[in-house]
Amino acid sequence: MIPTQFEYVAAKSLDEALSLLGKHKDDAKLLAGGHSLIPAMKLRLAQPQVLIDISRIKDLSYIREEKGQVRIGSMTTHYQIESSDLLRRICPLLPETATHLGDVQVRNKGTIGGSLAHSDPAADWPAAVLALDAEIVVAGPKGERAIKADKFFVDLLTTALEQGEILREVRFNTPQGTVGQSYVKVRHPASGFAVVGVAVNLSVNGGKCQSAGVGITGVAPKAYRASGVEKALQGNALDAKTLSVAAAHASDGVDANTDLFASGEYRRHLAEVYTRRALGTAVSRAK
Amino acid sequence: MTDFSIIGKSVALIDSAGKTTGQGKYADDLSLPGMLIGKILHSPYPHALIKKIDSSRAEALEGVIAVVTGPDAPNKYGILPVGHDETALAVEKVRYVGDNVACVVAISESIAEQALDLIQVDYELLPAWFDPEDSMKAEKDWIHPQRPNNIEKDYHHVFGDPEKGFAESDLVLENRYLAGEVTHAAMEPHSTLAAFEPDPQTGKPGRLTVWSSTQVPYYLQHKLSIVLEMPMSQIRVIKPLVGGGFGGKSEVIPLEIIAAVAARKAKAPVKITYTREEVFWAHRGRPRTIIDLKTGVKKDGRITSVAARVVQDGGAYCSYGVVTILYSGALLGALYDIPNIRYDGYRVLTNKPACGAMRGHGTVNVRFAFESQLDEIANRLGIDSAVIRRRNLLKPPCITVNNLRVQSYGLPECIEKVIERSGWMKRKGRMLPGRGLGLACSHYVSGAANSIIRSDMPHSTVNIKIDRDGGVVVYTGASDIGQGSDTMVAQIVAEVLGISLGRIKIIAADTDLTPIDIGSYSSRVTFMNGNASLRAAENVKTKILAAAAQKMNCSPEDIVMRHDMLWKRGTPEPHGKGAEAVQILEKVDTPRGNVQEVSGRVEGQILRGSLQQKRKEEGPKDRMSFEEAVVSAIDFSGALTGTGSYAPPKDARGGAFKGAGVGPSPAYSYSAQVAEVSVDEDTGEVTVHKVWAAHDCGRALNPVSVEGQVIGSVWMGMGQALQEEMVWKDGLLMNPGLLEYKSPSSAESPEVETIIVESVDPEGPFGAKEASEGSLAATIPAIANAIHDAVGVRLREAPFTPERVLAAIRARKQAAKALEITRGADPSAPKVFREHGGSLWYKGKGPERHPDDPARKNGDKALAGD
Ligand SMILES: Cc1cc2nc3c(=O)[nH]c(=O)nc-3n(C[C@H](O)[C@H](O)[C@H](O)COP(=O)(O)OP(=O)(O)OC[C@H]3O[C@@H](n4cnc5c(N)ncnc54)[C@H](O)[C@@H]3O)c2cc1C
Repeated sequence: MIPTQFEYVAAKSLDEALSLLGKHKDDAKLLAGGHSLIPAMKLRLAQPQVLIDISRIKDLSYIREEKGQVRIGSMTTHYQIESSDLLRRICPLLPETATHLGDVQVRNKGTIGGSLAHSDPAADWPAAVLALDAEIVVAGPKGERAIKADKFFVDLLTTALEQGEILREVRFNTPQGTVGQSYVKVRHPASGFAVVGVAVNLSVNGGKCQSAGVGITGVAPKAYRASGVEKALQGNALDAKTLSVAAAHASDGVDANTDLFASGEYRRHLAEVYTRRALGTAVSRAK
Repeated sequence: MTDFSIIGKSVALIDSAGKTTGQGKYADDLSLPGMLIGKILHSPYPHALIKKIDSSRAEALEGVIAVVTGPDAPNKYGILPVGHDETALAVEKVRYVGDNVACVVAISESIAEQALDLIQVDYELLPAWFDPEDSMKAEKDWIHPQRPNNIEKDYHHVFGDPEKGFAESDLVLENRYLAGEVTHAAMEPHSTLAAFEPDPQTGKPGRLTVWSSTQVPYYLQHKLSIVLEMPMSQIRVIKPLVGGGFGGKSEVIPLEIIAAVAARKAKAPVKITYTREEVFWAHRGRPRTIIDLKTGVKKDGRITSVAARVVQDGGAYCSYGVVTILYSGALLGALYDIPNIRYDGYRVLTNKPACGAMRGHGTVNVRFAFESQLDEIANRLGIDSAVIRRRNLLKPPCITVNNLRVQSYGLPECIEKVIERSGWMKRKGRMLPGRGLGLACSHYVSGAANSIIRSDMPHSTVNIKIDRDGGVVVYTGASDIGQGSDTMVAQIVAEVLGISLGRIKIIAADTDLTPIDIGSYSSRVTFMNGNASLRAAENVKTKILAAAAQKMNCSPEDIVMRHDMLWKRGTPEPHGKGAEAVQILEKVDTPRGNVQEVSGRVEGQILRGSLQQKRKEEGPKDRMSFEEAVVSAIDFSGALTGTGSYAPPKDARGGAFKGAGVGPSPAYSYSAQVAEVSVDEDTGEVTVHKVWAAHDCGRALNPVSVEGQVIGSVWMGMGQALQEEMVWKDGLLMNPGLLEYKSPSSAESPEVETIIVESVDPEGPFGAKEASEGSLAATIPAIANAIHDAVGVRLREAPFTPERVLAAIRARKQAAKALEITRGADPSAPKVFREHGGSLWYKGKGPERHPDDPARKNGDKALAGD
């Protein structure tokens, strides 16, 4: 299929993009890496009349650490995150997650902001930002606001972004102390998206869990924080038994997806097994 | 070892330069002045009457030139003479979601697409049939009125005395196996360009040329002639480069006919290229198959009897269906020695896209069942999987109980080789938990001994023309679809004439230029077109030798042709570099409209002048160059041409019963494979680590090509084993794209160790047999058997998705608990086991038949009816 006719504008700055978005409103769509939007347009699931390309705005592409916080611009590509020495050092969860994402071409074009804004239920980034308890900073006609990751993902392909707003940055506190992180994923054999993806961010003290962030994608209509798992870990010794008991809560209270590849029941089972494995890996890395 | 110069050497495919540099032209790369684009409107309903089509709004759209519908070309066609049930576009009714309703021809793709939305079609919905077992019980609302109970065809074959065989056996296993529906997923979507030349006298559309992504240009020419009511001689079909077929292009696909009908109406060239979704609807893949298989054996593992009931979910049109259901029965034979066979096959119509021929046509799903069950039998009897197969080998040359002639038989060596290379004896049963090895075998025809067009003509003919400068042009009807047939032909001709590959130019698959070859399917090309090429080359060689013999003053038999030279036997061999100087051939890519440019070389003239001069000065000689010999021959006969053809021998054409036409082949390829897998017991995920694949291709004309085919077969088998399955919901395909339906590629490939076994067939060209299909069928059961070895569960439904594997593992754990409680019975003592409720169909009459069923009306005679 080929998309319907549309106009294309490349914005040079965030302000220009905001004003273009204000002008065209619902007729317009922001274009980042295009790796979710263009396929949707080809299937005519999306039929925007105007595309506002924000991927060339330099100010939206960066990775830095400032005052105990890591900040990542929304137009930073998956590959930039995968290859960032800074992140490999202070938050290896993100580069690790990037390696699981699509293929080289997708990683070279796709952006973290585009992925989060799209809120695909099987996307990888949402799990990671949930595990890191990140904040999503959005710019809009009325200025900026920061949204907690677990409030940002609202439903299938739906986020807390409002009309006229642009996702500008992802930020989170630099992980401190003895940290163990991991991302594990069951890839869909065809699309490569997550059938189940589990991101874990543990902080460990004296063999006990000081804090735990667990984000799970692929299982439900939106990625979620597995708070039942987190609670079962908090303050406990990180032995095999604790991990098993905790992992059993991986899909508590969640309405699991059923699709051609996996039934809801099987997804729940995978969520438990892979949460256990992700926790195990994270614990073994916490040294 | 026979001393060949180019046969048996790995050479780069002669069309690979064009493909790897992007210069090669596929159908969709072609364009003509004034060309229009066609887009097809597809049915949104699985079964409905078309009440009215209003295309006026579409026609009014600027840029739209014509709208074509069913009544524009209502003649029926189909690939099989017994299955003419398709029309270019639906007439009166649609039979599946995706059926072809109308075609818009416009000046651009986007306008054509826009116009599709403006066509108004009124449908009246009919009840639809999606499950073959329901469908064959249908009392009314049949998909084709001439097919009662929606049964396209059923066959009931009995060879030997199956009941006696079972009675004499010590162990009988009976199981139901299911195989999901899969499709070819060739890289190139179908594409066709059709153009009429205006008739100079009348100005009306005259001669037609069609460039199409096809495996069967001559069948396409024939079906076009039926639908367009034109003589075949007015229709020229040209096959450009084709990006893979696997059977999906081995019959006439709707767009090929629609493009021509549309070009006639629009009075301009029309190109149609399918989207990937349309490729899935065009389909013609491997049907979902239900197999009830029963095997009886003696204690030592010798097979006494086999009974199979096979139901295929064929989709809405016949396609190759009758052939598929016959292959499923016939190829129970010719692999092992089975004294008694009963086969009941049902090809059933349903409201889904038509299934057709797909790599390993008809054999793959039944082979999965058979090899799985044989493995299970071996386990129960405590016999090694390799040993039980060895105990059931054929003793060729022989004729099997179902009348298949087997001559060359490399199966024993294939088994030996994979056992040895995989370390089977040392490793089997001693691996880490969750890891296992599995063995399975398979075979395939090297072309059908009986063609689907009932005629006595040779299946393949090849012409050769040699220019004065020694350039050799081979005209072959064989369709290279990526499998390398052009290269195969060039190698054979080069070997016979003792010349380098670089001299040879292949003109292929152009119905105006090349003599008839019935197509690239059922792995017939190397055997049949190869034999025709061999004979054509020998034919022209005789002429060259006759002329050279005069010049050399000796008899033709005393002359050796090699290294681009001719010399008298016994005189010193010239230091030619023929074999080493293997070159990538210059080849005419499509459009192949202007071959005249190829001939008429100037150098020939110069050469001739100087040679005449030289000849006067010299007496008889001991050696001459190929060019000199060619010039002598041309001087002698005016033009130097040769021709050769191939028809399968009578004694390879099978039995006399109805349906006996399918299965016989002049030669069968043989394969054995060992797969090494690991299974994640917590999740059911299966990883294939390595496959050892031995394939008996008679003689490997081009070993690298054989390896490529075997590896490709393993991937395709692995896809069907682990992940590929077309999933339907009320007739709607849920995964019509490569983001949902995934075939493994090089990126997902396990290590594949290919082992070529050369049994040297007495009738194959230089001993060659097929190499492209036979391996596939072994991969699926090899993986299934390896899974059993790894975690002790039998997967009887393909694909073995993680969820299914996990369910089987859980069921086994439950059963293990149950067994502990019951105890008692000694499971190692041979006794009759019945699983899946032991459906006793094989003793009864088969499923209930409708009174109108033709098989029933005609009594016993039609039972095997064809
Ligand atoms: C073959 C393939 C495989 C893939 N595999 C994976 C995978 O394994 N895992 C995975 O997670 N993803 C995968 N993806 C998706 C990929 O990661 C996309 O790049 C990503 O989901 C979207 O990012 P983008 O920059 O391409 O956004 P786009 O496609 O340009 O935009 C996506 C949506 O977000 C909106 N948008 C974009 N930027 C902003 C912004 N700053 N503010 C507000 N709205 C915005 C757009 O308007 C659009 O609606 C795959 C994609 C392809 C094509």
